[in-house]
Amino acid sequence: MTELDTRPPEAAPPRTDVDDLVQHDRVHGSVYTDPEVFELEMEQIFRRGWVYVGHESEVPEPGDYVTRRIGGQPVILTRGKDGVVRVLMNRCAHRGNRLCNAESGNSTTFRCPYHGWTFNNDGSLVGVPMRTGYDKEFLARRSEIGLAPTARTDSYRGFVFASLAAEGITLAEHLGRATTAIDRLLALSPDGRLDLRAGWMKHQHMSNWKMVMENNVDGYHALFTHESVYSAVREAKVSHVPSKVEVCVRDMGDGHSEIDYSAEYTRLDEEFVWFGRAPRAKLPNYVAAMERAHGPADTHRALVVGPPHTLIFPNLFLAEMNIMMVEPIAPGETVAYTTPALIPGQDELNGRMLRRTEGAMGPAGFLIADDGEIGARNQLGLAARKPDWIVLARGRDTDEADETGLVNHDKSAETPQRGWWAHWAEVLGGRYNSRDGAES
Amino acid sequence: MTEPAAATGTPVDPALEPDVLAFLHLEARLADEARYSEWESLWAADGVYWVPMGPDHDPRVNLSYVYDNRKRIRSRVAQLNSGARHSQTPPSVMRRLLTNVEVLDRGADTVTVGANFVLYEYRHALTTWAGRVVHTVRRRPDGSLELVAKTVHLVNAGGPVPTLAFLI
Ligand code: FES
Ligand SMILES: [Fe+2]
Repeated sequence: MTELDTRPPEAAPPRTDVDDLVQHDRVHGSVYTDPEVFELEMEQIFRRGWVYVGHESEVPEPGDYVTRRIGGQPVILTRGKDGVVRVLMNRCAHRGNRLCNAESGNSTTFRCPYHGWTFNNDGSLVGVPMRTGYDKEFLARRSEIGLAPTARTDSYRGFVFASLAAEGITLAEHLGRATTAIDRLLALSPDGRLDLRAGWMKHQHMSNWKMVMENNVDGYHALFTHESVYSAVREAKVSHVPSKVEVCVRDMGDGHSEIDYSAEYTRLDEEFVWFGRAPRAKLPNYVAAMERAHGPADTHRALVVGPPHTLIFPNLFLAEMNIMMVEPIAPGETVAYTTPALIPGQDELNGRMLRRTEGAMGPAGFLIADDGEIGARNQLGLAARKPDWIVLARGRDTDEADETGLVNHDKSAETPQRGWWAHWAEVLGGRYNSRDGAES
Repeated sequence: MTEPAAATGTPVDPALEPDVLAFLHLEARLADEARYSEWESLWAADGVYWVPMGPDHDPRVNLSYVYDNRKRIRSRVAQLNSGARHSQTPPSVMRRLLTNVEVLDRGADTVTVGANFVLYEYRHALTTWAGRVVHTVRRRPDGSLELVAKTVHLVNAGGPVPTLAFLI
């Protein structure tokens, strides 16, 4: 067992020597503020690794598209006439104009407003106006010119990820154990599908993107940051005092982590604790559809265990019945996108879900508005360069390894943060995305 | 019961009763001055406070920034009054202008009023908010007024939106 590190602060580490910034139970404060670290993150995490882009339900029909950004680069997530979901770089192959300028829509072709080049939504160039101005050699090469696809696109049960790098580990390797969280969410859908089309709240956070992400799996802050909810509005769904509940935190490996309420809910053996304790009788159609699909026993279990509270590295948070994706803008600025994970066809459930999302999440949410404020103050605090280190030692001697990862039965342990940072250092150090066994 | 005119509807009646206009100005000032409980007392039992994310959104199928029924208005005010709503501790310093006021619709005992607004909010820095606000005000049998609906169409509803924990 080790003691809290009380070594005197050293001189600031060399700026991009990642291993000097992350030391298991402490992290150098500059990781949130240094523009060079931010650039390195864009390169190693967002341009080389797998990044969550969107959900297949956002583009259900051929021609449907949504526009997104991956590490600052504009992309189009679209479904082709062939039904295939693609992620294309949103840049005209002629002279670089941003091709698609709407957030969402339906179009099987994109016509560039600058000089009128037209592209099919599979990326191929299908129209060049005034073609007589081009010579034979160009026209012969025309079929090679098109929208650049992201180097790799893959999905897991409707969740679409892309990598801008041609080489590296597979999506399955990247997701690792995090697929269990997606499975847990989809177990709450009678047919295993979701509908992410209620609209995205776009919430500007004046803090570093990692602060926004890791706060989501911080089981320590709720009693303090969200005191106003529990004191003035309603009690927490289960106690936030770690000794009173069987809630654990888990470093799932590969940067993914979670707060897991399932043992506590199972102990209570009560359905919908995670959904405002709504009684079954209020959701008869949903419960009936679940029982038709899964049978009474599995339905009961799914409704007891509830949804995941799981962070999927680097930019996706399964926020129970919400999906949050996070976009870094600058070292001190982030946009969080949030939408409820609606269940297709379940109007009575979905109506409640909309109101619950508005209540908790986004810029006016009872919870996230305060998380955003605390994040902004964290950024303001970190403008002080001393002390050098942020302390993440909580629970470090009580982490237990099992087949699900590294588990700590104290909900307030900083186990998820230690997992996040260890992985972050691996990725920024260039060791993760090109590790042995990666396919080329 | 007539359908409330859309946020961009055509004015139907140029004459707005002075006490209704004064009521709207009071609502604005109580929100500006973080007088939460007094602001809450303006609301009718069936009141709805709504900040949609798009101009023609339907709250039954679209997510909103705020969609508070009367019960949630009470919770929002209780949270603000707790002193621990960090995103409004201390409260933003605010002043808003309500202008281009038009009567959009009349019901048996209600009047729906559209206006443009500009709101200057100072917390860490000065933030300017602007949009269209539509109020529906009901006259009670005793002649007094209560707020039935307040809908705020932000010009930046498309986002990203900074923290919006104050009363807009
Ligand atoms: S830049 Fe698109 S057609 Fe010229
Ligand atoms: Fe929080």
